[in-house]
Amino acid sequence: MSSVNVNVKPDPTLNSQAAHSHEEEDHRMFGFIVFLLSESVIFFSFFVGYIVYKTNATDWLPAGFEGLEIKEPLINTVVLVSSSFVIYFAERFLHKENLWGFRLFWLLTMAMGSFFLYGQAVEWMGLPFGFKDGVFGGTFYLLTGFHGLHVLTGVLLQGLMLGRSFLPNNYEEGEFGVEATSLFWHFVDVIWIVLFLLIYVWR
Amino acid sequence: MSNASVETRPNSQLAAPDPQQPEPGAPENWRRFFSFSTDHKVIGIQYIVTAFVFFLFGGLLAMVMRGELITPDADLVDRTVYNGLFTMHGTIMLFMWTFPMLNGLANYLVPLMIGARDMAFPRLNAIAFWLVPIFGVILTASFFVPGGPSQSGWWAYPPVSLQNPTGNLINGQSLWLVAVALSGVSSIMGAVNIVTTIFRMRAPGMGWFKMPAFVWTVFSAQIIQLIGLPALTAGAVMLLLDLTTGTSFFDPVKGGDPVLYQHFFWFYSHPAVYVIVLPIFGVFSEIFPVYARKPLFGYKVVVVSSLLITVLSLVVWVHHMFASGTPGWMRMLFMFSTMAISIPTGIKVFAWVATVWGGKLRLTSAMLFGLGGLSTFLFAGITGIMLSSAPFDIHVNNTYFVVGHFHYVINGAVVMGFYAAIYHWFPKMTGRMYYEGLGKLHFALTFIGINLIFLPMHPLGLMGMPRRVASYDPEFAFWNVIASLGGFLLGVSTLPFILNMLSSWTRGEQAGDNPWRAIGLEWLVSSPPPHENFEEIPIIVSPPYGYGSDEPLVSNNPKGTFEESAASTQIANLAGEAN
Amino acid sequence: MATNDQRTTDLNKVLNRRRIINLTGLAIANLLISLWMGQQAYSWLPPQASAESILIDKLFSFMTAVGTFIFNGVVGTLLYSVLFQRAAKYDPSDGPPIEGNVKLEIIWTGIPILLILWIGTVSYQTYDQMGILGSMTQKTMETVETVPAEPTQKVATSVEESATSAPIEVHSRQWAWEFRYPKEGVSSTELHLPVNQRAKFKLTSEDVIHGFFVPAFRVKQDIIPGKEIDFSFTPIREGRYRLRDSLYSGTYFAANQTDVVVESEAAYQKWLQTAAKTTPTAAANVAQTEFAQAEKTSVSLGWATVKPAPAPIVNYSNQPNTSQPTPQFEEEPHE
Ligand code: HEA
Ligand code: HEA
Ligand code: CUA
Ligand SMILES: [Cu+2]
Repeated sequence: MSSVNVNVKPDPTLNSQAAHSHEEEDHRMFGFIVFLLSESVIFFSFFVGYIVYKTNATDWLPAGFEGLEIKEPLINTVVLVSSSFVIYFAERFLHKENLWGFRLFWLLTMAMGSFFLYGQAVEWMGLPFGFKDGVFGGTFYLLTGFHGLHVLTGVLLQGLMLGRSFLPNNYEEGEFGVEATSLFWHFVDVIWIVLFLLIYVWR
Repeated sequence: MSNASVETRPNSQLAAPDPQQPEPGAPENWRRFFSFSTDHKVIGIQYIVTAFVFFLFGGLLAMVMRGELITPDADLVDRTVYNGLFTMHGTIMLFMWTFPMLNGLANYLVPLMIGARDMAFPRLNAIAFWLVPIFGVILTASFFVPGGPSQSGWWAYPPVSLQNPTGNLINGQSLWLVAVALSGVSSIMGAVNIVTTIFRMRAPGMGWFKMPAFVWTVFSAQIIQLIGLPALTAGAVMLLLDLTTGTSFFDPVKGGDPVLYQHFFWFYSHPAVYVIVLPIFGVFSEIFPVYARKPLFGYKVVVVSSLLITVLSLVVWVHHMFASGTPGWMRMLFMFSTMAISIPTGIKVFAWVATVWGGKLRLTSAMLFGLGGLSTFLFAGITGIMLSSAPFDIHVNNTYFVVGHFHYVINGAVVMGFYAAIYHWFPKMTGRMYYEGLGKLHFALTFIGINLIFLPMHPLGLMGMPRRVASYDPEFAFWNVIASLGGFLLGVSTLPFILNMLSSWTRGEQAGDNPWRAIGLEWLVSSPPPHENFEEIPIIVSPPYGYGSDEPLVSNNPKGTFEESAASTQIANLAGEAN
Repeated sequence: MATNDQRTTDLNKVLNRRRIINLTGLAIANLLISLWMGQQAYSWLPPQASAESILIDKLFSFMTAVGTFIFNGVVGTLLYSVLFQRAAKYDPSDGPPIEGNVKLEIIWTGIPILLILWIGTVSYQTYDQMGILGSMTQKTMETVETVPAEPTQKVATSVEESATSAPIEVHSRQWAWEFRYPKEGVSSTELHLPVNQRAKFKLTSEDVIHGFFVPAFRVKQDIIPGKEIDFSFTPIREGRYRLRDSLYSGTYFAANQTDVVVESEAAYQKWLQTAAKTTPTAAANVAQTEFAQAEKTSVSLGWATVKPAPAPIVNYSNQPNTSQPTPQFEEEPHE
């Protein structure tokens, strides 16, 4: 066998599978990225829908409604965007095996995410229109709601990862869970920036 | 001389099956097909068998439809029933027959063909499969809810799909939407899995241009799923909200835009037809070289054209909406982009012809179905190009001409390509041979049936017979009678197939590892392949399809024991040369 | 391993001079057959009752010829292989290891490109001409003197603008057609048009999407609820034709058909005047009739359906009061 292998130059980027293990670990991050790319198309479709509706509508806003308040959502935006940096530091601490530093920043991210959700809920309560109020109402609640669902998922995942950080030997097989959650969080963040520009900034 | 099994046992195809191999068809063996298995081969067969059951169901609905259409009046079934029938026929055929069937083929073949022991995510794989019977049950259940199943056609265009005459929350349409959404979830899971597997799990030496064409086409098809399906999901979510909660995305009465739904729908559902046909292109590319005993002509161009089709397929969807109040510039733009698809497709078609040309043909059932499928595809492709010509499409849009076009490709090329694949890999999957005579009978009936039913649809469409009608003007009766008779013949044609499969699986002759003397990793292991496929991960040293030359495919023996032999030194030299 | 030289010779063997001559002969035969098919294509279509139909039929004939040529070429080659290049029963050998040929591959990438450029251009021109004729909704409707493409047709050389050129209102609903002539105050379930004059329409729908389709005119347009769509075409042949709903609109979709009558200007005016004097009554309506029948039977054999809209109240209606659609495709010239 050896005489053969000498002549074969396997592509180093390919992983040559070690005997009889599925190596599921290695592929998870790749698979997750593929999934996120695909998922972003859903948001993209909703955005396109929003743009089409808005540019074609004759009377876009519900009767008697002046337009969305931008101040609170802006605060919300700042919090969510900064949380992306916070979660990055949390990850850095984990790499440096500073578990408590990780937990602290991780918890901070969760708090910021929850603040965002709270802010969103407060805004929803105060709005004079519902999701049945024309296409504007529908798309507004659809976009913010669908995104909010993702933020909620992110916070729940973070909670899970926080809990797991207390398990002994949790990181022996790599930090996939934490890395994936963090990537997901950045994803949710980027989506929000586009969403914010479309819904609140674009008049 | 073929080198298919040059490595250690030149006669391995004649050898008796591995004694350690469990008896195929033995009780403890078939039971696993009803279990939550994570073995890609079991899942593959689960997919294929489940899909085929739904094919029979969808086909049975079509038989009732043809029964209705044999006379001009709406007399066999009520109009509402007819409308429900074609809606469910189209939905079942696409979402529960073609996608699962192709996922089954991909599941079974891709890991074997790229030298992997399983898919990247075996558990995800199993979950994706088990969603199929779940949404199958939901869809079937919609026959029994008050008001009956969805009657809005497989496009579910609003406002018709929003009308909900029963007023119930749980109605045929909402169940339909839930089932289609679940099907999307399952397909996304499958796509993530397959794309990851192909990207990351290829055996050493298997660069992109050593991958079999089938793997390339599956890869291209799954990319479409990843990009297109979310758009359909977005549209379906909005439609479901409109239907159940009273939002007004697509309801024109409340300011919604029904045409936007059409864009969402076709942005996915057009590419979906290439999701369906691409793996069949792969099957053609695998089968013609084996039975013509020649390499696939222009391999590199053929595989790259799959990706070109992927890209083009994403920018042509408006050709389904030429009559939907689409502005003139859009009509012209999408007319040209649609026509461009014939370039990469033409490359493939000509390459297949050149592969077959001058070969040493063996007309097995698989080859017959391959050639038959290719010719019906060509016919459908040409009517497709006619349809893409916007001014002409305006006349035949929503007539039987379109129904004829797509059944030629979907029932002609895809179903026949599927049969070709089953006959070709049946010995590998089961370890048994099928009965060639029955296979040929099956081919003859299918080929005649398809042409009898679907060819008359073209003159019908040209004369102006709309599709989705339970009754029609008597002037259309002549061609409809022929079509119905052809349809019944097509129904009957499935019987020899079923008979063949069932009896061969239980009692067919032992097949051996490589009954077709085919080249490919899957043919280097036993039939059926053992759990985890390869004892040793193969090391690939040549491109696929080395018919007529003596290049060995691998430098070791994936089946296990590799003996130092004359072959291995030869391999070593060649490997050096090949780089 | 076969070297490149060997492969080229293999290919030259395949393409020697005699073969090429034979091939040219076959190609010419194929061309003739294709041209003949192209001529046949006209007979598969309904009568040419509009100026547009002449253009469309020409386009279709052209595409049929091209398509036949490609189909015969490819399937003919395959058939030849199947018939004459079979392996002998006990011959286990392989065919020539030809892996490809760059020249050929370039040729057969180039041919489809040229073909679709050709088909595309012809289609584009056809579309453009139709736009001038007026059937393309989104085109701005300039008033152009229209000369139908085929001079052989019995058409007035220039299509005069009708004096009564206020667009006819087409009201579609589940499941009935209603045509209103606003200027004359006439409403009808049958569409009457004067021959050789551009007919203009405003298409509207009251519920779901319907499709306005007259096969003999080769025109079709989806009618989107909530929008008013301008549409026009030019009937050039007197007779009675079918007008069908082409976009699936629910339960009685198949029965949502009526007739178009193309008649001389005089007959048309007479019809308008008589209709205007008739008091409007509810027209017979297949959907209504069948729905009422189904309501009466105690056992329901069907699934839920939307209730049909009330039958249109019109001055003129011709719909027979049965569920049988009338077989009125063929064109008896109308007096
Ligand atoms: C697997 C399925 C499949 C495939 C592969 C195709 C392939 C193609 N289809 Fe088809 N199509 C459907 C399934 C499919 N279709 C379905 C299901 C519908 C209807 C859905 C519904 O309404 O319910 C539909 C409807 C449909 C329409 C809409 C018609 C209408 O509703 O009015 C159009 C219009 O452009 C179209 C075009 C094409 C074209 C151009 C191709 C091309 O890809 C074909 C390309 C192939 C060739 C051209 C042959 C090989 C090429 C050569 C030999 C080179 C030389 C040839 C030339 C230059 C012409 N299709
Ligand atoms: C993969 C996709 C696929 C496949 C394989 C088929 C297969 C068949 N289809 Fe297709 N069809 C569609 C996809 C498909 N169809 C779609 C998407 C539509 C559009 C729907 C819409 O408009 O919304 C459509 C619409 C459609 C129509 C038009 C309906 C209308 O517009 O009013 C018709 C009409 O003849 C038809 C017929 C058939 C027939 C006879 C078969 C045959 O191939 C079926 C043959 C198979 C069997 C019959 C198996 C069962 C056999 C037995 C159980 C034993 C023997 C039984 C007897 C002899 C009775 N189909
Ligand atoms: Cu019987 Cu239609
Ligand atoms: Cu399409």
